[in-house]
Order: sequence, then C-alpha cells, then structure tokens
Amino acid sequence: MENVLQIVWLIPFLPLLGFLVNGLGRKYMPKAMVSIVGCGVILASFLMSIWVFIHVREGGGYVADYFNFIVVDKLKIPFALQVDELSSLFLMIITGVGFLIHVYSTAYMHEEKPEHFGRYFAYLNLFVFSMLLLVMGANYVIMFIGWEGVGLCSYLLIGYWFKNVAFNKAANKAFVMNRIGDLAFLIAIFWIIAKVGNANYADVIAFAKAGKFGASDITVITLLLFVGATGKSAQIPLYTWLPDAMAGPTPVSALIHAATMVTAGIYMIARSNALYSLSDLTMHVVTYVGLATAILAATIAVQQNDIKKVLAYSTVSQLGYMFMALGLGAYSAAVFHVMTHAFFKALLFLGSGSVIHAMSGEQDIRNMGGLGKKLKITSFTFLMGCIAIAGIPPFSGFFSKDAILLSAFEENKALYAVALLGALLTAFYMFRLFFITFTGKFRGTEDQAHHVHESPLSMTLPLIILAVLALAGGWVGIPEVFMKGGDKLSAFLSPVIPVKEGESPGHSTELALMAISTIAVLAVIAFSWFRFRGYQRKGEAQGLAKVLENKWYVDELYEKIIVKPLQQFGSFLNDVFERSVVDGLVNGVGRAVSYSSRQLRLLQSGQVGSYVLLMVLSMLLIFVLQFFLRK
Amino acid sequence: MPIVYYLYLSLALFCIGIVGVLTRRNAIIIFMCIEIMLNAVNLLLVAFSKMHPPKAGIDGQLFVFFIMVVAAAEVSVGLAIIVMMYRRIHSVDVNFLNRLKH
Amino acid sequence: MNALLLSALMGVVMMFSGIVLKSKAAIRNIAIAGMLALLLVNILEMNGTVFLVIDSKGMIGFDRFALLFNSIIFFSTFLYLTLSARDMEKVGVNYAEYLALIFFILCGIALVSSFRSLIILFLGIEIISIPLYILTGSDKLNLKSNEASLKYFLLGSFSTGLMLMGIALIYGAKGTFYTSGINMVNGAISPLLIAGMLLLMFSMAFKVSVAPFHFWTPDVYDGAPTVFTSFMATIVKAGVFIAFIRLFDEGFASQQPKWKLIIAILTAATLLIGNITAVFQQSVKRMLAYSSIAQAGFMLLSVYAMSPDSKEGLILYAAAYCMATIGIFAVLIKMSDYTFDGFNGFAKQQPLLAAVTTIFLLSLAGIPLTAGFMAKFYMIKAAMYNSGLLWLPILALVMAAVSVSYYFRVIQAMYFRESSTPSTLTVTPAFRYTLVALAALVVLLGIFPNLLLAWLYF
Repeated sequence: MENVLQIVWLIPFLPLLGFLVNGLGRKYMPKAMVSIVGCGVILASFLMSIWVFIHVREGGGYVADYFNFIVVDKLKIPFALQVDELSSLFLMIITGVGFLIHVYSTAYMHEEKPEHFGRYFAYLNLFVFSMLLLVMGANYVIMFIGWEGVGLCSYLLIGYWFKNVAFNKAANKAFVMNRIGDLAFLIAIFWIIAKVGNANYADVIAFAKAGKFGASDITVITLLLFVGATGKSAQIPLYTWLPDAMAGPTPVSALIHAATMVTAGIYMIARSNALYSLSDLTMHVVTYVGLATAILAATIAVQQNDIKKVLAYSTVSQLGYMFMALGLGAYSAAVFHVMTHAFFKALLFLGSGSVIHAMSGEQDIRNMGGLGKKLKITSFTFLMGCIAIAGIPPFSGFFSKDAILLSAFEENKALYAVALLGALLTAFYMFRLFFITFTGKFRGTEDQAHHVHESPLSMTLPLIILAVLALAGGWVGIPEVFMKGGDKLSAFLSPVIPVKEGESPGHSTELALMAISTIAVLAVIAFSWFRFRGYQRKGEAQGLAKVLENKWYVDELYEKIIVKPLQQFGSFLNDVFERSVVDGLVNGVGRAVSYSSRQLRLLQSGQVGSYVLLMVLSMLLIFVLQFFLRK
Repeated sequence: MPIVYYLYLSLALFCIGIVGVLTRRNAIIIFMCIEIMLNAVNLLLVAFSKMHPPKAGIDGQLFVFFIMVVAAAEVSVGLAIIVMMYRRIHSVDVNFLNRLKH
Repeated sequence: MNALLLSALMGVVMMFSGIVLKSKAAIRNIAIAGMLALLLVNILEMNGTVFLVIDSKGMIGFDRFALLFNSIIFFSTFLYLTLSARDMEKVGVNYAEYLALIFFILCGIALVSSFRSLIILFLGIEIISIPLYILTGSDKLNLKSNEASLKYFLLGSFSTGLMLMGIALIYGAKGTFYTSGINMVNGAISPLLIAGMLLLMFSMAFKVSVAPFHFWTPDVYDGAPTVFTSFMATIVKAGVFIAFIRLFDEGFASQQPKWKLIIAILTAATLLIGNITAVFQQSVKRMLAYSSIAQAGFMLLSVYAMSPDSKEGLILYAAAYCMATIGIFAVLIKMSDYTFDGFNGFAKQQPLLAAVTTIFLLSLAGIPLTAGFMAKFYMIKAAMYNSGLLWLPILALVMAAVSVSYYFRVIQAMYFRESSTPSTLTVTPAFRYTLVALAALVVLLGIFPNLLLAWLYF
C-alpha cells in the first residue's frame, strides 16, 4: 500500500497556489479576500504539517518520490520530498510562525493599496513555498532550488518597498554576498555528485558512513557547504547584508530575516551532520566562526539605536550561537535553538513592528520611551521575548542556550567563558532596548504622543501566541538534570541526528553552570535597569533632581569602565571593521570584476585589422602549443 | 614532382592572403586577398586529388567546383555590401569602420 | 530530409510571394504557415514518414539527434516569427526577401545538422553565412548596419578561407571528406590532419563566436537590425553548434587527446571574456551580444565533455537559450531605448511583459526552476564527469555567478527604478499570449526537462 505520507506535496503546493491566486488576482480581489487566501493556505499547510509531524513521530520518516527531475545516464535526481524528524520539525516552525506572521501582516499592511497588498501576500506565500521546498527536498538539488527561491523572495520583498539609492546599494550587497555563498554551495553539490553519483541525502549519508569519502574531499565539501551557509545565515564574513535587509517591512524581517530563511544554513549543516562529523577541521572552523560572529554582532548591537537594527544584529549573534553548537557537534542543540529563536525573535520583531506602527513609523528608540503604559500587550509580550532571549528559566531561550553553553563547556572552558560573555551581552542590549523603549518618559513629538495606541487584535493575538510559545517552547528539551527523559527533542531527532556520545560533566557541574549563567544574566539585567530606566537623550536639559539622581558615583564608574569602552568598541566594529574590512572585501570582488570588464572591453577596438591580427596571433599560439609544446 | 612542392606553394599563397588581409586597409583588396586564400585551397585540393587513388581523388576536384560557386556567390554579396558602404561614406577604407566598438 | 527540401522550397516561395502579394500580413502568414509545415514534416520524419528520399551517397544523414535538434530550431523560429515578424517591416522594404533569406538559413542549418561529409558542412555553413551578411546590412540607411555588415562579411570570408584550408589539409591526410573516414585510425597520425583539424576548429569557433574568434560578434550583433540580431544570436548560433559537436564527435573522436585541451582553453577564454565584458556594458543589446558569447562558452562545454549526456545537454541548452533570448529580444525590439535606463520603471508600465522578461533573464542566469538552470546543470555535470580537469567546471560555475550580475541589472532597472519618460510601447494581445506561453515553457522545461529529452530515445 502506498504510504499516506505520499501526499506531503500538498504542504508546499498550497502556498504556491496562494502565490498564484494572489499574484494573478491582485488587481481584482479585495483585501479581505487576499488575506483569507494568503493566510488560509498557510494555515492549511500548518495543519498538514502537524498531521505529518504526528505520523513521523509514530512511524518514522518517509521519502515521497514523485518523478525524475534530472536523468543523465547514471545520474538520477528525483523530485522527491522527504519528511523525517528534522524536516517535520522545521515544517511546523515555518508554517506555524509563518501563519502568525501572515495574520499579523493583514493588519500591519492594511494601509497599502489593494494591488500592492496582493503582491505582498503573493511574495510572502512564494517565500513560504520556497522555504518548504528547501527543508522538504530529499536531495541537495531540491534544497538548492528552495535556497535560491528564498533568496529571490527576500530580494523582491526588500526591493519592492524601498526604491531609493540606498536600497539599491543594500540589495546589491545582499546579492553579491548571497551569490558567493550560493556559488560555494553549488560547487559542493557538484563535488558530491561527482563523488557519490547522486545527491540524495540517504545515499550521501550512507556513502559518508561507509567511509568512502577521501579525507580531503570531505573537508573541501563541508567547507564549501559552510561557506554557502554563511551567506544565507549571515555569518562572518558574509553577514553585513542582514542588518541592511531590515529595510523591508517588519513582518518580512520577522519571517524571513529572523525566524526562517536565515536558519537555512543551520538546517543544511544539521542535515549533513554525517559529513561534518568526519571533518575535524571544518568543525573547528564552524565553531570559531560562529563564536566570533556571536560576539561581534552582540557588541555592535549594544550601540545601535534603531529598534530593528538591534534586533537584526541580535539575530546575527544568535545565529552565531547556533553555528557554534553545530561546530561542537551539538546538532540537536542547534536545532533546538533554531526553534526557540524562531518563537522569541519573531515575537520581538512583531513587537517592534507594533511599536513602529504605534509610533507612526518611528524606529529610533531615543525618540520613544514610556510606551509600556500605552502599549500594554505589546510591552508585556516584548518583555517575555526579552526574558526568553536573555535565557532566564523557565523561558524557552534558557533551555536551548543552556544546551549550547553546556556543549561549549564540555569542549573547552575558555570557549564557554567567551560564549557566556556573549550571552550576557545579549541580555544587556536586549534589556537596554526594552527599558529605553518602554520605560521612562515619552520622548517623541506631540503628534506621536497623541497617536500612540495599542495595535488591533490581529496584531496582538499573534504576539500573545508567540509569547506563550516563547515561554513554553523550551519545555520539550528540558535537560536530564531536572527531569528524566525531559529532553524529548533530542530523542525525537535521534534517527536523523545521532545523540552525541561523550562524558557528561556531571549533574552538579551542570547545575552550577546554569546557576552561574542565570545569576549573571539577572545581574546584567539589573545593571541595565539602573543604567537605562531613566534614559534621556544627551544634550537635553535635565532637572536638578534628575541630575542628582543620576550622579551616582557607581553609575559614573560603570559608565567609564564598562559602557563607554563597550560602546566605543561596538562602534569601532561597526564603522571600521564592518564598513571597511568586510564590505571592502565584498565590494572588492565586485570592483575587480567591473575593472577587468572595463579593461577587456578595450580589446574590442572596432578595427577589422586588429580583430584579424588577434585571431591570427591566437591561432599561431595554439599551433605552437599543439605542435611544439606537447609531446 | 613531389606533392610537398604543391603543399608549400599553396601554403605560401595562403599566407600571402592572410598577410594581405592583415596589412591592407582597402576593403576590396582585403577581399582579393581572401580570394587568394581560397584559390590556394583550390590548388591544394587539385594537387591532393591527383595524389590520392582515382576513386577518392575525384571528390577533391568536385569540391573545387563547389568552392568556386560559393566564392562567386560570396563575391556578389560582398561587392554589393562594399558598394553600399562606399555610397554612404565615399571610402572603402576599413579603418573608417569604427562606430561599433567596446 | 523532408525539412531540408521544404525549407529550400519555402525560401523560393517567399521570394516570389513578394512579387505576387502586396499585403505584408499575407506574406507574413505564408511564412508562419510555412514554418509550421516545416516543423510538422520534421516531426513526421521523426516518426518515420519521409516524403522524398534522395540518395546523397551518405553525405547527409538525418539521425534522431539531428531531427530533434532541427525540431527545436524550427520551433524556435516559429516562435521568433510569431513574435517578431511584424517588426521586420520597420527594417526596409524588402519584407518578403528577409523571410526568404531566413528560410534559406534554415535550409543551411538542416544541412549542417546532418552532414556526414565536409563538403556538406562547408556548403551548409556558407548557406547560413551569406544570407546573414545580407540581413546584417539590411537596414541600408543606417551606417551602423552597413558597417556591421561589411565587418561581418570580411571576417566571415576570412574564416571561410581558414575552414577550406582545414578541409583541404584533412583531405590530403585522409583522402576522403567523409567524417567516418576521417575518424578511422590507420597508421601514424599525420600532422596535416592535426593542422587541418585545428583550422576547422578555428573557423567553427568563429561561427559560434568562441573567444578569441568572437570579435565580430558584439559589433555585428550591435549593428544589425535588432530583429535579425535576435535570429542570429539564437537560432543560427545553436544551429552551428550542432555542426560543431557533430564534427568533433564523428570526425575527430579518435583524436580526442589532441584537441581536448585546446577546446578547454577556448571554453575558458570564452567564459571569461563573454561574462566579464558583459558586466560593463551600457546597452542591453550589446550586453546580450556578450551574453551570447558567454552562453556559447557554456555550450562549448558539451563539445569538451563529448559524451552521450553532453549531447542531451546541448539539446536542452539550445532550447533553453533560444527560447529565453528570443523572448528578451522580442521585448527589446519594442523598446525605443536600448540602454539599461530604457528599462527603468518597466514593471510599472508593462507588468506582464516585465514579469515574463524577468523569467527569461532568470533562465539565462541559470536560476533554478527555469530551463536555463537545468541546461547549465547538465553541461557542468557532463564536464565534471567526463574530464580530468576540475578547474573548468568550477570556472564555469564562477562565471555563471558573475553572469547573474548583468542579467539582474535589467531586472533591477525594471522593478526598482522609476521611469523618467512615459511608455510609448504598444503590443498586440497575440504578442502577449505568445510571450506568456514561451515563459511558461521555460518554466516547464525547468521542472520537467525530460519532456524534451525523452524524444531523443523513444
């Protein structure tokens, strides 16, 4: 009998249908209709994903083979979709979070013209389709198709909204960076095909497990795949496009640039874990690149004032953590963090969208403040998100981050210390953001003050649901210390991702580590509370009482020895390192091509004589090569 | 006479044709140089056809006729193009052909 | 054989139709109907129906590969005529003659796709080239067109000379013009054969604009009337490519070690020069000329790999490339301004045309789910499997990435920039529908490439 899971093609097909309907009918359909179609297809996909998830949980994974995509004598690349533990989990995240964001968008984009509204939802559906293809493909070629698709949608969605020169620059940057990554990915795919004979995960993994890869092959392939992942998942050196991509509408940032697309790299490496485990060198590279990105981005986030920029750098930083976990072989911890991160980062982005909405488009947190009183739901849910990302038990971020920190501790104490530092920075900049935005006095204009209002239900409801998930989403991966068999997630993923074997540091150590990180995080939060609760813009006149209150000696000291250097370091990284080194490198590639283009162009002189001369000379060269230089 | 003499003669003619194309600027003379190249080939083909056994040899002579016919067609088109050019710029100097470049 | 005869006949019919008929629409309809008939008889021949058998003494042989390739060529020409035949009216008064010349060129392509003897190869190439010299110069009052024509003619005749010398030398070494006889190995390899093979390679490389013999391409494509550039850059180029691969597959297979490296060098040079020079162009038309050089580099990979699947790849590539490029040119012909800025704000003015143009550009750039991706995939995979050189497929991939930058410049202009002038573009509904169908086909082939390739075997 045919497996019931054969119909999983519906999951990506429904959003594609939504894309077609919304794309073609955008001129004729009213907004309500577009919303219903746009959200409805994703909801249907989500329900199917749940059904698939339950099936997989009971009966294991399944590869649904539809037709042969490419057949070149021995090589067969089927169009096959794979649902197993890993992909069904991603399916739930993508469609679930995606659905909430679609619902949120119906309100957020409400002021758009119907035609643009339709196009927006069409692109959003197309994005979900591509992303589903990416995670459901049963071979690297299908994954690559989804991979390109999500990139394209992201490009379209950012570009559609911002038609100025600055955008063009940002889009080009995003483009070059993603192309570098994609190129490496593609070379890796061809390399795999040349070695294995096809690109199916099952065959590649079997081939790897049988030890048939040469040591150098495996290193090159995994490194190339990793370069591909750095492009899409915004790691050093290909990360600067992500903060710029935040120019798009906020729900897009939430969906594409925080919750789903950027985790494609993590998914790819987790999927290829059998290959990665064979190459120590690559694992080290992944670990340290991830860690460096995590710290770098966290430091930059400390001094950003644009609410979305803070969240953007925070995303880069969290992705760095996930890569570090991958590099340490803690694949399931990375996937766990992908999941919890999807919840709380989507929450934070949507929350920021709600704030921006309330502030009529204002994004600078220095012009906000005191919004907590007016935006009760937003501020409360935002706080939940902040607590989750900071990693305070029992919120979800605590469990996933703890799993990563623990694996770092097992590997190397120094690694742990640096990673913990990053976690503290995270707590610091997130609560700085929270306190500046939601507490203290309102610092915006009169107009804005009048206008500030809580968002409609279709915006706050997703926030509330996500807040619940941000709280409870981590409970599927409770460490063994607290609950026997509490780590359901790793157990669930174990058919795809082998459970890491190794000595556990012991329960008491583990508990101690948790206690340390929790107390440190709480201390940092307290510090930022004192530092930022009464935030005022510099240069503003301040009352005498305020001056006195702020003239704490301790505060000054903190300011001098911690905050100032930190901020200066952050702005140094932002201005010097990012602008000149990273961008310079990327732009350099582009400039080199365009320079050689200009020079090569001159060869085309327009003179028949010179054309003939060049042809004759190259003929002579080839004759010499053929008759005199070869044996 | 050994076949290589014909080979050398025809290659020499061919090279004269190429050098002519390279050095002359008058479109008609360039075209004549190309015709020299074609005639060098004809000479060579005839020589080779005598060298090969009769059955295979006849092909070579046949080919010469094909070349002559095609060359004639080419001349008619080519001269028409040169005349068209001359009417426009009153010159057949190929160095003036430089509007299209880069 | 059917198509060969019918195309020659159609050429003559078209010439006379210009005298008999006054209405241009009637002439156009005859041409399109003739094109359909051509496609039909060719497909019939694939199923075994041959109307007239001529004993060519084995100099012509229509095998499955040639027939399928011809079908693609005829189908593309059919699309080309439906989309752009109307625009030939703008070029000059000799409307029927242009169409006649196009049929003669198709006759030449039918010859070169099925040649078994170098005589036929030579004839076919000349039958293709001479009408092209005329078409290039057909815009008689435009100096650029004149110049392009003369340049093309001088350089083209020069390359004909090379080809003939090559054939003569091969004849001297082997005593035959048949490819099967040339391929036979008896005794030591004569240097005459190798020299002849190289000369033949150079002249073929010239015809398909492979670096360093590509210099005529940008100038001629730029100068020629755009409607004929479209024809030259797609159908003619693909047609000559099949001669190229057939020559090296059937004539010089036994000499592989002698030419493999040289083809690799030519491929690399073509990929580099085509792609990199295209980056800095200001005119979309000229960019497409360089892009056609770049695409020739990819197609040359199939000659380099020289295996059954590389032939499949070439078929797919030819189809993908022809369809996408014809589509883009069909839109470009309608534009008044050929620079990139001319496309500014195009998405606002003509959303549908912009969308299909985007699909064609994506296909040319090799983005997944388009025919172009599949074609590139086949090519690079064939090159990866059948060679000791890893650097060539990797270079091809890098260059494919570079190519994205110039194709996307058009997309960027269409979608992300504002236009300064209002659109003056008018198109018929039929034009729109054909373009949409073409775009659908490009996507369809990108998902089910076997729809096309299955024809090769059944």
